[in-house]
Amino acid sequence: MSKAPALELIDIHKTFTDVEVLKGISLKAYDGDVISILGSSGSGKSTFLRCINLLENPTKGEIIFNGESLKLASSGRDLAAADMKQLTKMRQQIGFVFQSFNLWPHMTVLQNVMEGPAHVLKRPKQEVMDYAEHLLNKVGIADKKHMYPNQLSGGQQQRVAIARTLAMDPQVILFDEPTSALDPELVGEVLGVMRKLAEEGRTMLIVTHEMSFAKEVSSEVVFLHKGVVEEKGTPDKVFNSPDSERCRAFLSSTY
Amino acid sequence: MDFSVVVEYFPRLLEGAWVSVQLVALSVVLGALVALPIALARISQNWWIKGFPYAYIFFFRGTPLLVQIFLVYYGASQFDVVRESILWPILREPYWCAIIAFTLNTSAYTAEIFRGAIQAIPEGEVEACKVVGMTKAQMYRRVLLPRAFGIVLPAYGNEIILMLKGSALASTITILDLTGMARTIIARTYTPIEIFLAAGGIYLVISMVIIAIFRQVEKRQNRYLGTVSIKVPDKG
Ligand SMILES: Nc1ncnc2c1ncn2[C@@H]1O[C@H](COP(=O)(O)OP(=O)(O)O)[C@@H](O)[C@H]1O
Ligand SMILES: [Mg+2]
Repeated sequence: MSKAPALELIDIHKTFTDVEVLKGISLKAYDGDVISILGSSGSGKSTFLRCINLLENPTKGEIIFNGESLKLASSGRDLAAADMKQLTKMRQQIGFVFQSFNLWPHMTVLQNVMEGPAHVLKRPKQEVMDYAEHLLNKVGIADKKHMYPNQLSGGQQQRVAIARTLAMDPQVILFDEPTSALDPELVGEVLGVMRKLAEEGRTMLIVTHEMSFAKEVSSEVVFLHKGVVEEKGTPDKVFNSPDSERCRAFLSSTY
Repeated sequence: MDFSVVVEYFPRLLEGAWVSVQLVALSVVLGALVALPIALARISQNWWIKGFPYAYIFFFRGTPLLVQIFLVYYGASQFDVVRESILWPILREPYWCAIIAFTLNTSAYTAEIFRGAIQAIPEGEVEACKVVGMTKAQMYRRVLLPRAFGIVLPAYGNEIILMLKGSALASTITILDLTGMARTIIARTYTPIEIFLAAGGIYLVISMVIIAIFRQVEKRQNRYLGTVSIKVPDKG
């Protein structure tokens, strides 16, 4: 196993004003890994995920994507991208699915999915359209392609958001609590799509509170507590015999 | 009261109204073009970039439109460079002086409206642009500006109505806009009430047409947007 990780985070720190929210988190994701990130609210899960593609500038740390280290330069107390070209290139290859979907409401479902490949990657229009329709079909929304996001339910919007992410052919996809904003009866349809992606061998980092889903699809589970990795291992290890007392307490309270 | 003068002079009043409409239409279109780069610069984090638009907006919003008109009309001719420039044939015309003053004035207000609209776009939609790897330019062209267009409409329609009312000041530099024409007619007929009532009525009709047009455009544009409320993205 000499293959380099697809994504490697080394010693990520983040301080907001005077609170250190991330206290040195390291993580490696190899191709095909599905890593679930668990932790109670406020433990830093979103901040960590957002530091990976610099939606949030880390205070310290290194981000290596495909063996290439992201160039960072000091900007105040934090580190900001030193090479915007490199950053946008990297972002094109790392998908991000938000808790609140964040579809562009002035575009139809189809336009939302086509936007990235057509205007960022500048792929041929017809090819992009065919692929977008294929993806909408895959997430079960093909019949809604000419509708606008506000005409859809939350579960449908999130599935469109996943299709929008897949349209970029990302090498790694980051999910930040993709089902937390959904009514309980809509959670299943989104998890179904994500399960399919996991089975396809996609590389994913998933922040979630869906414990049985995490247990089932993950190759690795990470438990964050107050900005540090408190427990990490196979789902079997973390769910059934965690070393950390806090992890055990967290799991018994939520699962 | 004798409303037969209104009937008699109605065609002249319409002529004046047409000049008012031209003044407003030209200056809001030019004003919007000037406003866009000013709004974008104003949003910048960099003090060197946002300093100028800041001062520009402060000046044009903080001083009376009448003063601005007089500054352009009487002020421009004070400078030899202006009198000798190829622009002098334009700058000496009251009509173009009014358009320049109106354009500068409305651009300051419009820039603030644009800025407000761009900043009202939910942060999550902006982040969605970032995570697909859009450049700043792509982000503005593809998402932020089209999106801001829908948000801007009500406030922008309002600004055009304000501009219409402000355009009456053009009459102070000899322009025969609706107000100027009304005053000229009154100087001849001594029927101020009748003529000003008629002029006021025409202003109202123009305002109503502007409002109706904007309602229509807004309805079309925001058909599927739901209410464009300013949502704070959640930090779960
Ligand atoms: N932009 C921000 N500014 C200041 N504090 C923040 C910001 N974002 C998150 N935080 C704080 O950082 C901590 C971790 O937040 P977050 O990463 O969202 O946790 P989680 O996703 O695990 O619930 C919280 O205490 C939160 O209040
Ligand atoms: Mg979170």
